[in-house]
Amino acid sequence: MADVQAQSVRSVGALESILTGAVAVALTLLTGAVLLLLGGFDPIAAGGAMIGGAFGGWNTFVSITLVRSIPLILTGLAVALAFRAGVWNIGAEGQLYAGAIAAVWVGIRGGALPAPLLVPAVLMSAGVAGALWALVPTLMHLRLGVGEVITTILMNFVGIYLAAYMVHGPLQEARGVFPQTGPIAEAARLPMLLPGSRLHWGFGVALLLAAALAVVVRRTRFGFELRAVGASPEAAAVSGRIDTSRVLLVSFLGSGAIAGLAGGVEISGLTHALYEDLSPGWGYTAIAVALLAGLNPAGVVVTGVLFGALQAGAGAMQRDAGIPAAWVGVVEALVILAVLAIDRIRRRAGALRAAGARGDE
Amino acid sequence: MNPTLVRLRGVERRFGSVVALAGAELELRAGEVHGVLGANGAGKSTLFNVLGGLLRPDGGTIEVDGRPVVLTSPRDAWAHGIGLVHQHFTLVPTLTVSENLALGLRGALEPGLSVQRAVRELIERTGLDVPLQPRVEELGVGDRQRIEILKALLRDPRILVLDEPTAVLTPDEIERLFDLLRELAGEGRAVTLVAHKLDDVLAVADRVTVLRAGRTVLTAASGEADQSELVRAMVGDGVVDTIALGLGPPPSGAPPSAPHAERWVVRLRGVDVEDERGWRLHKVDLDVAGGEVVGVAGVEGNGQRELARVLAGRLEATRGTVELPEQIGFIPQNRSTEGLIGEFDLVENVALALYRKPEFHSGPWLRWDGMKRVAEEIRSRYEVAAPSVATLGGALSGGNQQRVIVGRELEMSADLLVAENPTRGLDVSAAAFVHDELRRLASEGVAIVLLSTDLDEVLALSGRIFAIAAGTLRPVSSRARDRAGIGALMLRGERRTAVDSALERGVDDG
Repeated sequence: MADVQAQSVRSVGALESILTGAVAVALTLLTGAVLLLLGGFDPIAAGGAMIGGAFGGWNTFVSITLVRSIPLILTGLAVALAFRAGVWNIGAEGQLYAGAIAAVWVGIRGGALPAPLLVPAVLMSAGVAGALWALVPTLMHLRLGVGEVITTILMNFVGIYLAAYMVHGPLQEARGVFPQTGPIAEAARLPMLLPGSRLHWGFGVALLLAAALAVVVRRTRFGFELRAVGASPEAAAVSGRIDTSRVLLVSFLGSGAIAGLAGGVEISGLTHALYEDLSPGWGYTAIAVALLAGLNPAGVVVTGVLFGALQAGAGAMQRDAGIPAAWVGVVEALVILAVLAIDRIRRRAGALRAAGARGDE
Repeated sequence: MNPTLVRLRGVERRFGSVVALAGAELELRAGEVHGVLGANGAGKSTLFNVLGGLLRPDGGTIEVDGRPVVLTSPRDAWAHGIGLVHQHFTLVPTLTVSENLALGLRGALEPGLSVQRAVRELIERTGLDVPLQPRVEELGVGDRQRIEILKALLRDPRILVLDEPTAVLTPDEIERLFDLLRELAGEGRAVTLVAHKLDDVLAVADRVTVLRAGRTVLTAASGEADQSELVRAMVGDGVVDTIALGLGPPPSGAPPSAPHAERWVVRLRGVDVEDERGWRLHKVDLDVAGGEVVGVAGVEGNGQRELARVLAGRLEATRGTVELPEQIGFIPQNRSTEGLIGEFDLVENVALALYRKPEFHSGPWLRWDGMKRVAEEIRSRYEVAAPSVATLGGALSGGNQQRVIVGRELEMSADLLVAENPTRGLDVSAAAFVHDELRRLASEGVAIVLLSTDLDEVLALSGRIFAIAAGTLRPVSSRARDRAGIGALMLRGERRTAVDSALERGVDDG
């Protein structure tokens, strides 16, 4: 009973985050409409195409929107975990590619294994590869004090170009014509979650992981340490006697592993092969997904689907209303800007309220 | 009578539902040092911020030179000649002292006068000696306080307001500061000192104003009001803590008894702490027994921070042997940055110290219900002014934050409690509370180490006393057991840290 009250106070925070997000999206759509008008397009038709492309019917929603949301939810969880601990991991993109490379390699080589063994092996190798990709920035941060923002961004380039090298070189498909790998074994593929749709088990993986992270953050000692270090490393160390380096290490590598898993899930569940442009920048969009969710794992599922819908709708808009693809990027950038601005405003309001309650002193 | 420079009438200020000022009055006259006294939450800082243009009042008027003014920013306040010296430092740590002093000075100096020359002249005139080349982050709190004062004086304010300026200065430095304040008042300025220590204020102020609960309850020439009258005005019917008010040890407050040699709780032998900037602690030997309060006095930046952390098990010694008990309570100096997490509620802040105890988790799972009960208990037993345990740590006043921290650390049922400046910035009743708890704990057999820059506090509470200077711990003999004696030990080598860092920087200084 006692706990219920504490929980309800916290979930008000989550509700507030979601409301903030809704306002951000509304403002963004409004701005987008104005931009469309300026470009000589009909915003109503565009909007119709967008909504139709994202939510037009059950199958559209499940097979397009939800499928697109899977890598966004997973990378969003990766970013939320790191940011919660105060680690600015901007490297989900590179970690995702590292995971995808490992997944393809295991998925092709492990063809002799049965599916119940091979699928977990593929996903685990992707997670390990993502964690290893995060290890370099982690060690540079912990041992040398090099800011992780820069190192994770730089590691993104390495990951993206390594994938490009793989699909042109060592892992290129047998005929050596297309810049892609050969297909992974049947036994390496995630089964479908809903028969008759394209929604694969990656969505289930994402939901389970979100639930697990939500529980870890709220209920476990490590989750508490993570939030303490993220909120104030100094107080965590001095008052909590928390080993902040250990918390940073675990959350950074965990974040990398989840981002790597996103790559593995994409390979195993959807594409079944590695392409040069596997990700349209999920690792970056993930930052908006996580921030919009207030770094709440459960919220990430909502915002991940929202961004999945945005991408699905943008595709339809391009196809059905003839709006250039570049507009998608503009809308996404606008959402990120709106989120950051509104997040800031909300925090300032929160700080004012705190100062007010504090009164004198 | 001297002309009135500033008059505040009926000033009101609310923060949400909290009323910080409810009709405060203040009159500052040229040529006077004016003391503003008040307990925590009385509205001193709010009034100070209103005067400095940092907060706009909800009601009331501000007059400067008899004309009503509206102060919407610090710039406005400066334009009227009001200069503030903040309690919380406003210096940029990574800039040098000169650069800090030059910040924001554009147009404020007489034409043709370079910042360097202005600073040198000011230092010469005021005797506020600070090194100009080092970066501020390399300097101790005493130097920083002097820099804050210099910064305000550089603009030649007619009205100078200082918020708790004595907290980090040695007795000798306080006296020099007071001489300076009198001199500045003698030049026709209005000097205002916001403080909670009575004898500080009475030593220098010509008149005093006492605030309580946002109202001005007394204004008198300092000769007219006697101490007990002022104390009553400050605390109303509240607790009176003679130590916090600077009235010396309580009449019956004989220092706790000699240590029980059979129960040594702490043993430090030849402890060194060294970091990239050099020695922080050097060859420290210290034994502390259960039931005694060991006081460590020192000017900030002389190693007491490191000593506190070594004793609290938060910092590893570079060399030497350290024997500590299992359970250690620690009251760190910076409540809001080290003691609490502002965005955590009270339950989580209590959990910060307790979550590792076996009764509050099973395996990896935390038992929030248990920790919530403890937080509820702390809130009621230590009279934390918070609507519920879901209140965020950052929403509490300093005194209430300290109540939470003290309550939490006592809840640790530790064998050793390390308290680092536990009453800094606290009002009378909050300080009394902390002192009472420390005494109570010692009487229950807990070993207590009190590290403080407040000599009165150390003298009143401690059995054995040590002075720390330049990382070296020296016992204070019973003969030297007074302000002057300890002050002399504290000062020995005080400058050494500054000189050392200057030497280490070497060529930069050339």
